[in-house]
Amino acid sequence: MSADYKKYWRSLEEYEAGDALDEQAAEEFADTPLREGAEPGRREFLLAAGFTLAGAALTGCGRAPVEKAIPLLRQPEGILPGRSYYYATVCGGCSASCGLLAKGRDGRPIKLEGNPEHPVSRGGLCAVGQASILGLYDSLRLQQPMARGKSASWREVDEEIAKTLDGIRKEKRTVRVLTQTVASPALNSQIRGFLKGFPDARHVVYDVLSASPILDAHRQTHGARVLPRYLFQKANVIASFDADFLGTWISPVEYTSGYSEARAVEATPPRSAWHVQFESRMSLTGTKADRRIKLAPEQIPAALEHLAVRVARKAGSPVLPAAGSPVPLPDEVLDELANRLWEARGRSLVVCGLPGAEAQVLCNFVNHLLGNYGATLDIAAPSYQKQGDDRELTALVDEINAGKVGALFLHGVNPVADLPGGEELAKSLARIPLLVSLSPRLDETSPLARFVCPECDPLETWGDAEPVAGVTAISQPAIRPLGQARPAIESFARWSGNGASAHELVRSFWQESVYPRQAGQEAFEAFWKKSVEAGFARVRPQPMAVKPFDVQAVKPMSAGRSSTGKLALVLYPTPAMPDGRHAYNPWLHELPDPITKATWDNYASLAPATAGRMALQDGDVVRLLISGNAIELPVLIQPGQHEKVVAVALAYGRTVSARFANTGPKWLEQRPTPGPNGMIGANAAPFLLLKDGSVRYWRDDVKVTATGKRRPLAVTQAYSSLTVPKNLDPGGGPRPIVQETTLEALGTGGAKHESEPVMELWPDDHPFTGHRWAMTIDLNACTGCSACVIACQVENNVPVTGRDEVMRNRQMHWIRIDRYYSGPPSDVEVAHQPMMCQHCEHAPCETVCPVLATVHSSEGLNQQIYNRCVGTRYCENNCPYKVRRFNWFEYSRDDRLANLTLNPDVTVRSRGVMEKCSFCVQRIQDAKAEAKLQNRALRDGEIQTACQQTCPARAIVFGDVNDPRSKVAQRMNSGRRYRVLEEINTRPSVGYLKIVRAKKTDTDKEGGARG
Amino acid sequence: MKSGILTIVLSTGLFFSALYLAARAGTVHIPGNQQDYQPVQPIAYSHRLHAGELQMPCLYCHFSAEKSRHAGIPPASVCMNCHTLVTATFGAVRAEEELATKEQRKPRTLVSPELQKIYDALGLDANRKPDPARTMKPIAWTRVYKLPDFVYFDHRAHVGAGVICQTCHGPVEAMERMRQVPDLSMGWCVNCHRDATKNGVAGKKVYASIDCSTCHY
Repeated sequence: MSADYKKYWRSLEEYEAGDALDEQAAEEFADTPLREGAEPGRREFLLAAGFTLAGAALTGCGRAPVEKAIPLLRQPEGILPGRSYYYATVCGGCSASCGLLAKGRDGRPIKLEGNPEHPVSRGGLCAVGQASILGLYDSLRLQQPMARGKSASWREVDEEIAKTLDGIRKEKRTVRVLTQTVASPALNSQIRGFLKGFPDARHVVYDVLSASPILDAHRQTHGARVLPRYLFQKANVIASFDADFLGTWISPVEYTSGYSEARAVEATPPRSAWHVQFESRMSLTGTKADRRIKLAPEQIPAALEHLAVRVARKAGSPVLPAAGSPVPLPDEVLDELANRLWEARGRSLVVCGLPGAEAQVLCNFVNHLLGNYGATLDIAAPSYQKQGDDRELTALVDEINAGKVGALFLHGVNPVADLPGGEELAKSLARIPLLVSLSPRLDETSPLARFVCPECDPLETWGDAEPVAGVTAISQPAIRPLGQARPAIESFARWSGNGASAHELVRSFWQESVYPRQAGQEAFEAFWKKSVEAGFARVRPQPMAVKPFDVQAVKPMSAGRSSTGKLALVLYPTPAMPDGRHAYNPWLHELPDPITKATWDNYASLAPATAGRMALQDGDVVRLLISGNAIELPVLIQPGQHEKVVAVALAYGRTVSARFANTGPKWLEQRPTPGPNGMIGANAAPFLLLKDGSVRYWRDDVKVTATGKRRPLAVTQAYSSLTVPKNLDPGGGPRPIVQETTLEALGTGGAKHESEPVMELWPDDHPFTGHRWAMTIDLNACTGCSACVIACQVENNVPVTGRDEVMRNRQMHWIRIDRYYSGPPSDVEVAHQPMMCQHCEHAPCETVCPVLATVHSSEGLNQQIYNRCVGTRYCENNCPYKVRRFNWFEYSRDDRLANLTLNPDVTVRSRGVMEKCSFCVQRIQDAKAEAKLQNRALRDGEIQTACQQTCPARAIVFGDVNDPRSKVAQRMNSGRRYRVLEEINTRPSVGYLKIVRAKKTDTDKEGGARG
Repeated sequence: MKSGILTIVLSTGLFFSALYLAARAGTVHIPGNQQDYQPVQPIAYSHRLHAGELQMPCLYCHFSAEKSRHAGIPPASVCMNCHTLVTATFGAVRAEEELATKEQRKPRTLVSPELQKIYDALGLDANRKPDPARTMKPIAWTRVYKLPDFVYFDHRAHVGAGVICQTCHGPVEAMERMRQVPDLSMGWCVNCHRDATKNGVAGKKVYASIDCSTCHY
């Protein structure tokens, strides 16, 4: 173990304890009712043994139950029982519209995977996309339309809506359609057609995560309201002002893929884009930055302003924006950034997630001066992923509150929960003569509607999407609608007097509007078929009336941004729960947040210094108050956050989350999953500010008061410690679990990892002559986005355990992402490390299993055999990587509809059985059988594990390390490769590639980054 | 002394129990063993007739055995490939024809009651044409060969390697009603895998893995 190994820590307790380890982390089983000590007596033992024997004898009686086998009467061509098939479609998780392959089995979709051919998402898929399949099988989704709170038939509802609309048309009242960004051009055109029939009608678009200021700024600077397509893959220097582009900003999968390409240190030629992040809280993007500069929210626009001045000076621009606010940073920092950006002209990218068009105009100005338009930002073929207009939203809210709206149709939005002033809005909404909600679930808004016309799940219907200009995608159904829900496009067509099906509507739209834009010579039928099969088509982008940059638009930013000195509230989306529409999804609630590792709650994050000053600890409930609005949330201390900030996640506290009241195993000591309000977390949307035509995600002056109550959070960060307990290794220092190298070292070849020789106890008698499965994980590419965690959960039938079980360290995820901090808590560097079964050649778990339920395969897999396991948990106790998961309970499989997501190729484990990552052995077996059938050898890359397939950053590579040409074998030979805990000679099959840090610059503080 | 009597009584009981069990040893299975299971099926389909007498290849009906994990029970539409025309047994049709010749009339179409069940399932009318007024009703066969949920057997790997169906399913071509021939125990699987690796399958060298994860995952 090298003495200069950097000290990493995972929780503040660990940081403060130094090398001493808190007891909890050393304990494998955080909380067990079976702890030894109070010895059961002989009588109790005999009693238990007797019952067990009697039970065993009783279960042994009788024959197996009779099982029916019901074949199809007419089998469609290409559908075979037990064989998976894939349909290309579009993800409905958010408006980024990534390309999907929906894996179907016996008539139902069971898994979503990224479409590797898709030009925008390029094969990746985020956690939300992976989890969205559960929406299809949500048993609480509305099965049929509702009129005035009661179930009704479509005929009744349609007739009444048509009659009311006639009246509205005659009275010339206003008709409004309020939607989120509609990714589907066909639906957009249908809505336009619907509204044409009314004298005063408008389609208002808003996004919960608004990009409206960016569009507004481009109207000012380029004369067109466009959202550029950001091409991170072309950038060599990236500066982000509070834009969490790897986590939640606009199109995270696309950007992660591009970012990963821009930082592929081993590509030819090697790339290592330099990334600086200005932010006030700790975002996912901030954790990857080479330089993370934490500023108070009001200081970030000032930093951008001063940067713009410097870049303008370099460019000799006639317009110099006047920087009104004081520089919040040392001059050298901004000088260096300006230099770097200027040197990388045309290969740099400045992105800005700040509210207000002013800051965005400056951002455009900087990008313009750097010549990035047309290079790293495309506005000729822009993105359509966010179209929301906050100005129009403000106008609509005013109209609604003034009672001027005659009819309002809501699609994909939940304004009562997502907008500030929701309560007032709810009252006004209830007064609208015709309020129609297309929400598939009863949320905060839809019960107010006179008619709820539930729309289908995206996997049930035909649709289309155009995420970026020129890439049109078809969303084809993977199953027939499970209930009576109707696609939104059909509903709008019906209300315009057109009874066509979604398929006919989308097809005819494509024939009229998309087909003329394609370049090929083929007939429409061929074009349609090809596009449906591929999932997308490349067509000519719609011509954009983009003007050259208008320097007149650049104005000094309004002054009065001086800090109030009080705490500021920052509202943010989390990568796991970016939008309240997913609040029904238990997978996303149980997914540990990539940074805080908290599950099943939102919380008020405070910087360690701030929490110290206020004498608050993790789990103390505080009351946040701004002008009459108050919510109570537990505190979470977040290293690296700005001292003047309290950060709260949006999208929580939704009524749909009341369904989790029964989540988790039933037993005496069970504590409920929802909080005291009966929901998961608290809704922070009332704190948002709809002002000056823009939604503001931070507030100046929040009052934080301790309530004296406590609500401990279900945080997994302190679990599964890989450090050695002090009693076992008193002299031991930190272990080199996460390893780093520098760009400089990599360039000179000095990064080569050298393993220390270890004494061999075992005879080397396992030659592994055939395949030998192995995996490499590039820690430099991994962003911690946690898509792999959900992908694995769906693929491997991993149960949801509920909040209480998570607090007892009994969450079941087969892959977790360990997040390590280094440096002082005020200014931390972060490392993400996906950790799953390492499939050790000398696996410590195998030697302790008394029943040989875990043994090694001839292909290097550490096999876990459920039917042989008796649940001693010795293996879990002996696993140095802490990756084994024990079924403490029979986890709920009561929801028969949700059970349709179960992968029939993976055993559903029962109580008392150990489980863990299997390297997706079902996929290995399937590929092997297929190759054998075709009489060929397995091809490299043919087997992709679920985590690998979904990874937008392409950090994970799986394959046969015995094949020297395989990608995994090549990456195993990389100079960056190391193995975790190799000093204990477990010989893991998983190799990690070291993080590459950019060389420290002179302006960098020499903090405690080296321990 | 008391315990001495008790011992004698208990030993006698044990002796008779052992006698009783020994007599039934042939028919008693350990739990989960379904050997010789031969349930009555909803349609009295005869493998002896189809696979034996008529020598139809197994894969004609069980076509997914070479492409999928499951061999599958053929969809009724496969039956209709022949049974659109063949509606009754050969003997019955011949008898009817002879009778018709004797009575100098056109022979009537005979439909065997078992085949009628297929026509009913498919919702066909008297002329065996689809009748939209009738509902299609799938046929619920009783599954004979069943492995526990934690075992994954892949037909395509075995059929592809050249293992003939009878190796596991026994002399199906001689069975009037389907019967489970092997005990489907793990030992039975593993012995065959060992043997295949050692001696090959159908003269071909194969590698039949005995790793746990070959079948358990």
